[in-house]
Amino acid sequence: MDSLHAIGFYVSSGVSVIGGLGVALLGGRTMRGLLLAICGLGLAGIYISLGAGFAAVVALACYIGCALLIAGPRYRSIETLTGTMWRQIGAIGAGAVLLVLGFAAYRGNFVTAKASGDGFGIADVGRLLFAHDALATDAVAALVLVSLIGAAAIWRVKERGR
Amino acid sequence: MTANLVMVFFVAGALFAAGVLAVAWRRDVSSALAGIPLILAGAGVAFVGVARFAGAGAPHLFGQEVAVLLAVAATALLALGLGVAGREGTR
Repeated sequence: MDSLHAIGFYVSSGVSVIGGLGVALLGGRTMRGLLLAICGLGLAGIYISLGAGFAAVVALACYIGCALLIAGPRYRSIETLTGTMWRQIGAIGAGAVLLVLGFAAYRGNFVTAKASGDGFGIADVGRLLFAHDALATDAVAALVLVSLIGAAAIWRVKERGR
Repeated sequence: MTANLVMVFFVAGALFAAGVLAVAWRRDVSSALAGIPLILAGAGVAFVGVARFAGAGAPHLFGQEVAVLLAVAATALLALGLGVAGREGTR
């Protein structure tokens, strides 16, 4: 990986992690949506610097969609039954997960791994998606279909009962 | 200046932990759902990084493929979760 890609990787990583932490910690749905879009932008930058251009385009489109969903209509506030203490334990657990993953990455013998492959690769990714791993693609397509139909049906039922 | 697989794993771990933090910390369900794309983003970065830095002979496009599937799945899960949560004032 050359210097230009490395600089792009570090800058994009910073943008993405700051956006992610903002989503987790800051309030306001518009702000959360904006930060999720920024996180998606950083994620696309990471993918591009790692030579995954097609994944970058798809991730950018999907995360902007997620941001619009979160910042869009005002959602009913559903409070979880989990108490404050358990939420704090969960947050400390998230920090512990970061430490463990960081330690595992540091201790793992990955430093000698060399970068290989580059380019956009739409045709090859398409071949993988629709020929080699068609079952996984079908499963995700079914998930998308169920999600869209389910969300639309639930909203229609609720609108009718208004 | 260079980046290696350890750095990729650090970033993936940070995104994953930020997502877990959002899910654990937020009291409101529709706010906590915003953590799901972050968790899947961390997994996607790890897949792309491993495929990029993998040893000779490994298909480097496999990580890109999984990242595409994870991004689409994240959007679908968020749409379904927010649809179930429902809009304010509909009840």
